[in-house]
Amino acid sequence: MGGDLTNLEIENDAAAVGQSWQRSDLEAKVRGTFRYTADLPVPRCLYLGVHRASQPHARILNIDISSALEMPGVVRVVTGADLFGIYGELIYTGPAFADQPPIAIDKVRYVGEPIAVVVATDLITARAAADEVYVEYGELPAVLDVDDAISGSDYVHEHLRPSSVFSDLKHLQGRGETNVNYEYNLTSGDVEKAKANSDKTVSGEFWCPPTSHVAIELFSTTAWVEGNRLEVVTTTQTPSYVRQALASMLDIRLNQVRVRTQPLGGGFGSKMYDRLEPLVAAISWTYKLAVKLEITREETFVLTTRHGVAVSSQMSADSIGMIVSAEADVRYDTGAYADIGPRIASKSGMVACGPYKVANARVRSRCIYTNKTSAGPFRGFGVPQVTWSHESLVDELAREFGEDPAQFRRKNLLREGDVAPMGTVMHSADFVGCMDAVTSAIGWNTPLERARGPWRWGRGVAVGIKAVLTPTISNAVLQLNQDASATLLISTVDMGQGSDTIMAQIVAEILCLGPDQVRVVNPDTDITPYDTITAGSRSTYHTGNAVKKVAERMREKLISIAAQLLGVSETDCKLTNGGVVASSSQKYLSIDEIMQLHFGAIGTTLTTESNFTTEWIPYDKETGQSVKVTEHWFAGAAAVELGVDTRTGRIHIAHLAVAGDVGRAINPALVKQQLEGGAIMGLGHALFDEIVMDHGQMINGTLLDYQLPSVKDLPDRLTPIIIENPHQTGPFGAKGVGETAIIPIAPSIANAVRDAIGIRFTRLPLTPERLLMAMAGEGD
Amino acid sequence: MRPNVFRPQSLQEACSLLEEHEEALVYGGGTALQILLKQGILVGSSFIDISGIPGLAEISFTDDFLRVGPMVTLRRMERSEEIRELFSLASSAYAKVANPRVRNTATVGGNIAHGDYRLDPPVALLVLGASVELTSRNSIRKVPLEEFFVDFQVTDISAGEIVTAVEIPRSIHLAGSSFVKLSSLSANDWPSASAAVGLMENDNGVHTLRLALGALAATPVMATVDIRNLNLDQTLEASLSKAMELMDPIADVRGSVKYKLRLGRVAVEEAIRSAWKEVPNGR
Ligand SMILES: Cc1cc2nc3c(=O)[nH]c(=O)nc-3n(C[C@H](O)[C@H](O)[C@H](O)COP(=O)(O)OP(=O)(O)OC[C@H]3O[C@@H](n4cnc5c(N)ncnc54)[C@H](O)[C@@H]3O)c2cc1C
Repeated sequence: MGGDLTNLEIENDAAAVGQSWQRSDLEAKVRGTFRYTADLPVPRCLYLGVHRASQPHARILNIDISSALEMPGVVRVVTGADLFGIYGELIYTGPAFADQPPIAIDKVRYVGEPIAVVVATDLITARAAADEVYVEYGELPAVLDVDDAISGSDYVHEHLRPSSVFSDLKHLQGRGETNVNYEYNLTSGDVEKAKANSDKTVSGEFWCPPTSHVAIELFSTTAWVEGNRLEVVTTTQTPSYVRQALASMLDIRLNQVRVRTQPLGGGFGSKMYDRLEPLVAAISWTYKLAVKLEITREETFVLTTRHGVAVSSQMSADSIGMIVSAEADVRYDTGAYADIGPRIASKSGMVACGPYKVANARVRSRCIYTNKTSAGPFRGFGVPQVTWSHESLVDELAREFGEDPAQFRRKNLLREGDVAPMGTVMHSADFVGCMDAVTSAIGWNTPLERARGPWRWGRGVAVGIKAVLTPTISNAVLQLNQDASATLLISTVDMGQGSDTIMAQIVAEILCLGPDQVRVVNPDTDITPYDTITAGSRSTYHTGNAVKKVAERMREKLISIAAQLLGVSETDCKLTNGGVVASSSQKYLSIDEIMQLHFGAIGTTLTTESNFTTEWIPYDKETGQSVKVTEHWFAGAAAVELGVDTRTGRIHIAHLAVAGDVGRAINPALVKQQLEGGAIMGLGHALFDEIVMDHGQMINGTLLDYQLPSVKDLPDRLTPIIIENPHQTGPFGAKGVGETAIIPIAPSIANAVRDAIGIRFTRLPLTPERLLMAMAGEGD
Repeated sequence: MRPNVFRPQSLQEACSLLEEHEEALVYGGGTALQILLKQGILVGSSFIDISGIPGLAEISFTDDFLRVGPMVTLRRMERSEEIRELFSLASSAYAKVANPRVRNTATVGGNIAHGDYRLDPPVALLVLGASVELTSRNSIRKVPLEEFFVDFQVTDISAGEIVTAVEIPRSIHLAGSSFVKLSSLSANDWPSASAAVGLMENDNGVHTLRLALGALAATPVMATVDIRNLNLDQTLEASLSKAMELMDPIADVRGSVKYKLRLGRVAVEEAIRSAWKEVPNGR
């Protein structure tokens, strides 16, 4: 047993971090053998069909379920009143406000809200019977515009219901006669004075419409009762949250609810918090039935959206072109239910002045109810919408001074150690580096032939800033198996971003293992430990830190056992490829040997666990100031060269470069894919991606009419650029990258359009019609 | 309810089935029908799947015509070397429909019968002077495409009739032609405006411009313009004024009436300019 190091070829060539490991699910996905959540084996189920509201705001006067009940195969029809009768107020759930019933109770608040749910023996019957439910509505005036919602006297909710999850919302409890469910205020310096003394001021009224996530995988939730426990298999980015929300709603213990999910076919924020789960769980638990809800593509459009956002903003600079003040009045249209809107309004409102050194700032950011589909998290968490404002303004300001927009930004951008308007210091957020990288990639300073036939060409740049959600919690459990393979238990959900791959890389790096030696277990709340959410680009940093820690603990544990077995001190031991070596004696034991000697058996496991929790200092309620409002920052930039066809208004993008400061790229290939994916999604939002509403009805809620970028809409060249400024406390210096790219895309494109045709657009998307009409002087 | 599906093995059988089952619909590639089903617009219909009938997926040339069977896919129309050579206008329009997945599945018969005012292929086929063969249990008739599109989503197909061929005459010789499709949203979306132009030539040069428009009125529409002795600018002027008479766009998520009118003019102008370039020695 054992061996002499000199006789063994041991070298740590397995270095994993910084390598572009192939994603762990690649082969199964390419071959089509990958099992998504809806493919998991579940007990024989009854199916649910949902009858949805056709009115945006109305009292439910009567629900006639008789003909649905008569249909063969229909087991029962459940209404909100049924559930309210059993669970009372507990039936209302939501991450910030407990305002959302799984099925409408007394009134409907958006078109598409569930009113009755059919339980039937098969899916076709369930859906057909749902059509046979007849509802008598007592129409109420609908609140359809975010500004009317503020000034009007029609209310979506009679009173506010902050949830117990966030104690800082308690003061809003029971407030009535308002549609504003949350307001964040930031003030620093003296804006009025600074503005009065400034040289130039620009202002704008900006609008970003709601958009749909359109993850390829549809939502699916199955629930059944096993003894006194509820089993749930669901498409979710937040298994830990769902377990907690369901346990609270049903008033049962956490260990009575088990939530599982498979890696998702895309999430982008849509599969978070309370989606199908409360509805399916309530029906399953109440009637002790195994039930499955699979929704159609069309239904996904009314399930959740990105926030439509209005921003009225101003920016002023002094005579040498330094920004001296910035203001923004931000209105998030959160739809019928608050969802995480209040958090979005504050965390995104706080960066509404942009990544600039601004001594005098004022932001008012409000989250507002309207009678529309409830808006929720969407890649960027509300930040792209405020970036649309500040990056358009700063561009105009640069032009007022006749200065190059990149140079103007360079003078004003926050740098390492600078304090942002909300009082927190900048670290590992290289805005200048990102901007310089993208501008140089597209040849910013090279001559541009501006007029080519009917085409007009231009260039634009934009920079983005976002704070990571803080405070949050991640946990990890690691099992090292006797054969030197490892099993990692975390609740981070791989949804295409490749988290299963990079978490394995982190373990492998610490324990000197190879690509096939680490398996990441899919989230299962019976097995994998609590994790706040897989969203907001937080997993690489937070779960990554927990994973690094759990692997380091395993290394310590292994070394301590090996030291005893080798009869040397722990400090003398080193973990290398496949085993532990004593430096003094060069004696070596493989992991396999260590485990066998330690346990006296084969097939054994060694377990460690870890926790990584971030802290913040809550911002001051009046000023929005905090010296530590976030654990870390995301910095990104995009630059674009494009042409506008003056005959049709169509934009053609020749080159789009996008950069993100990721601290350190654990897996450069996956980071680049995130940058590209975010850029393409942002491109859709810039050009035509938009939910179109008419009197509260979504009129393009199908994939025929709701447009996403096709392969033909991509830029001729798309250049993702990784910027690495290691973060002091990131795992190996790393931070996340899921949202970095999407943030600056739309303004970079609009700024290039401004450069090309001299027109500033303040409303998204930049459709050919909008451009053409503006060029004809008939713009909106 | 799941629709009933019949799979006739002969045209005769298909026609009989169609007569027996009044609500029955012919099933081509199903790309349009499946969407209508999913949207709940079609409920309880029966389908007559004609894919098993021999001979309906053939492309053949006679002395007078190119004859295309109804089950020929759009992709084949796009890819066929012979069609590209003889009727490049048709190939280029078929090539612009949706995306390869749709084109691989959708059929020439289903495309025409669908009758949507925004369809791309009919715009080119109108300029090419195509006609549609309609077969029922007791008759076969040929309808010029110009008369085929009757009104918004309404074609001349009567109950009991099946599209059994689309024919393009070899007699209309186009010296230059072009199909232009302009979309307002994603690049391979339905058009907001499309135009096909064909220039007819005799020994004295170009004499007639055939012009058809898609997505700009309740049906695809077509006109001819006498351009004898006209230069390019005069041709543009005459054709654009004709086009303005034909246009009566419908506002939707893809654009307002005003915008589509502008786009229509651009499509026409672009199509004419590019067709013009194909005419040897210009004029
Ligand atoms: C995503 C998407 C995008 C699209 N974009 C475009 C576009 O950009 N441009 C464009 O031109 N089109 C577009 N289309 C429409 C497409 O061209 C049609 O769906 C297709 O051509 C219909 O052909 P099919 O064979 O699938 O017809 P089916 O769906 O089988 O049938 C369509 C209709 O024709 C009838 N029918 C079918 N065959 C016959 C027959 N032989 N005789 C009589 N009646 C018949 C059916 O009963 C039905 O009413 C798009 C479609 C989709 C799904």
